[in-house]
Amino acid sequence: MLKILLEKELRDIIYSTKFAITFAAAAVLVLLSFYVGIRNYQESIHEYESAKTTNAANIAAQTDWHQIQDRVFRKPQPLEILVNGVTNDVGRTTDMRSSGELNLINSRFSVDPLFAVFRFLDLNFVFVIVFSLFAILFGYDAINGEKEAGTLKLVFSNGVARASFILSKLLGSVLALGVPLLVPLLIGCLMLLGFGIPMSGFEWVRLGLVIVAGLLCFGVFLTLSIMVSAMVSRSSVSFLLALVVWIFSVLIIPKGSVLLASQIASVPSIDAVEIQKRKFTADQGQKWLQASQQWFSSRMSSSASVNDSGFVNAMAAFQDSLQKAREDARAEFYSRLDEDWRNKKDWQERWAFGISRVSPTAVFQIAAMNLAGTDVGMKFRYMQQLSRYRDAFAETIRKKTGSSADYFRIVIKRFSGGQNDQEEKQKSLNPSELPEYVEQPRSLGDVMTASMFDMGLLVVLNALFIGGAFYAFLRFDLR
Amino acid sequence: MDQPNILEAQKLTKVYEDGLCALDHVSFSVKAGEIFCLLGDNGAGKTTAINLFLGFLNPTEGTPFINGIDVTKDPLAAKQHVAYLSDVVMLYPNFTARQNLDFFARLGGRHNLKRDDYYNALRQVGLQEKAFEQRLKGFSKGMRQKVGLAIAIVKEAPAIILDEPTSGLDPKAANEFLAILHQLRAQGRAILISTHDIFRAKEISDTVGIMSEGKLLAVKTKAELEHENLEKLYLDYIQGKVAA
Ligand SMILES: Nc1ncnc2c1ncn2[C@@H]1O[C@H](COP(=O)(O)OP(=O)(O)O)[C@@H](O)[C@H]1O
Ligand SMILES: [Mg+2]
Repeated sequence: MLKILLEKELRDIIYSTKFAITFAAAAVLVLLSFYVGIRNYQESIHEYESAKTTNAANIAAQTDWHQIQDRVFRKPQPLEILVNGVTNDVGRTTDMRSSGELNLINSRFSVDPLFAVFRFLDLNFVFVIVFSLFAILFGYDAINGEKEAGTLKLVFSNGVARASFILSKLLGSVLALGVPLLVPLLIGCLMLLGFGIPMSGFEWVRLGLVIVAGLLCFGVFLTLSIMVSAMVSRSSVSFLLALVVWIFSVLIIPKGSVLLASQIASVPSIDAVEIQKRKFTADQGQKWLQASQQWFSSRMSSSASVNDSGFVNAMAAFQDSLQKAREDARAEFYSRLDEDWRNKKDWQERWAFGISRVSPTAVFQIAAMNLAGTDVGMKFRYMQQLSRYRDAFAETIRKKTGSSADYFRIVIKRFSGGQNDQEEKQKSLNPSELPEYVEQPRSLGDVMTASMFDMGLLVVLNALFIGGAFYAFLRFDLR
Repeated sequence: MDQPNILEAQKLTKVYEDGLCALDHVSFSVKAGEIFCLLGDNGAGKTTAINLFLGFLNPTEGTPFINGIDVTKDPLAAKQHVAYLSDVVMLYPNFTARQNLDFFARLGGRHNLKRDDYYNALRQVGLQEKAFEQRLKGFSKGMRQKVGLAIAIVKEAPAIILDEPTSGLDPKAANEFLAILHQLRAQGRAILISTHDIFRAKEISDTVGIMSEGKLLAVKTKAELEHENLEKLYLDYIQGKVAA
């Protein structure tokens, strides 16, 4: 009996014009999202490579390790193109320095505002907006539509159990709609291969999980709307209800959760933090000046010559220790401020995400961004990697420049009209002597832990609505 | 008649949740080879009675039997012995006439029918050949009704229940429809029809049950009706001039 009902369900959906049109639209959007993503990736990889080349050329044109101007660029990752997340808001360029705060600049959106306007067409958008609508369009009248057509009574004038019928509806809809959607998704994956997008096995696993999460989200809307169609007897009413749920889920809850979270957990503005930092740095500068003056005046009285090597060494040692103390204090103060701000922000984000999880599409988005690595933690993780790199960078520079004493000797010689050192100084720098910045991928364990909860939540929601649909249909008025 | 009762209503009573008594201790039976017509105005309770036979409703009191099986006790078994044509016959618009027929035939337990069997059934109900493999989307109500009847026929159930089958049909289609009913009766089916159309009722039925406001006021056989004016009788009954 189930087989007959299931077969009918599959045919009924696949033969319909509604299916032909909406499926074609969904498929085109899926393929388009892959294509647009691939083009974007190629473009940003190209930009990335040429920025690196320019940077290397710049370094090669420089002659002094002391004044080196090096930049680090964030390498585009393939998964970012499918699930943009915050990718385009996070700066891609950093001026690398041995000391001082590192800043991310040149985010995609800041450089390319047009891109910000059309930000939507990634796979994530297709799952959140298109697939969920697609599900609603087929689910909303699954049960009450048959009642209106009189076929429900006709079916149940035979020895058909209600459970078989609702099971065939759920199973049939999932198969008839879900399996066709897999086709453009798989073609999209083939496109990634065809265009030679470099993806590690780990990234394929993550992409696979994004697709699984997307289909689970689709399942939530499908089972939800089938449940609604088994709860109200008129399809026009259930359509409205499903649409309201969709609007809340896609538009209202995510935005509302952010608003609500900012009410519940307030975070000082980033400007306030900046001002504190600037004030601290200015104070430090002042103190440095005073200390240097003191040092000089105490030394000058002992009437030593500036050309005296003992004096230069002493000054360099003093400057080195001062500089180190200054950088340590700055780093400590900044990181304390940053951490405090980060903690408050974390807390607020936790609220926002917690509230937004009322919406199945938000749950999917959180899971997908965590899987793709484009979640709100992306910037923080990148900054951590940068500062780790900075240690290696600073070490190299220290080795290259020797102690500050050498530097002072050069400066002093120049001021006192020394001539013959020039040739030696003209030697250009070799950029490959700098350590290369290589992004460390997150571990599978990290990614899984971050996305597990939301994946599980999607499974639970599916189960909940399947159960709800059963419950509602067992007491549905067949007449 | 010495035929067995195929459909039987025993003191069927239905009080809806809102307190309305739509059916009040109604008893009747339909034998094999008999056409029984429930005649009554809109709201008389005809559809309610039919819904009780199909297990779509639970009776407040009384019992419906199909082929001797108590519908309230074992609805799935009981419904294997009845074919049904509802007042709204939309069927599946994306399926062709034959595909609709095929689906319902298999639901009704006829698993081994061939394309020709379906064509024969569709021919029997008078659907044009060219419509056999067309989707139901473009079908008129009359054409859909024919497919519906073909569905009822191929199930080959001993009982057939038809709710207002001729309403909305043009006279020619209605006549063809009735001719088919007579064939089915000749095959020994027990047929229960509901209608508000006095003339059709008189024309086709072996027995007419006059219903009003949930009560079965009178049951008249064809022989009894030979000598009476059904229209006058009906009006008299529902206006309460004749004691039931
Ligand atoms: N679900 C229901 N709830 C309450 N009253 C109903 C319901 N269905 C039908 N009725 C009422 O029961 C009476 C009989 O209805 P019905 O059996 O459909 O009559 P008929 O088929 O003879 O026109 C009508 O008064 C109708 O309004
Ligand atoms: Mg009726």
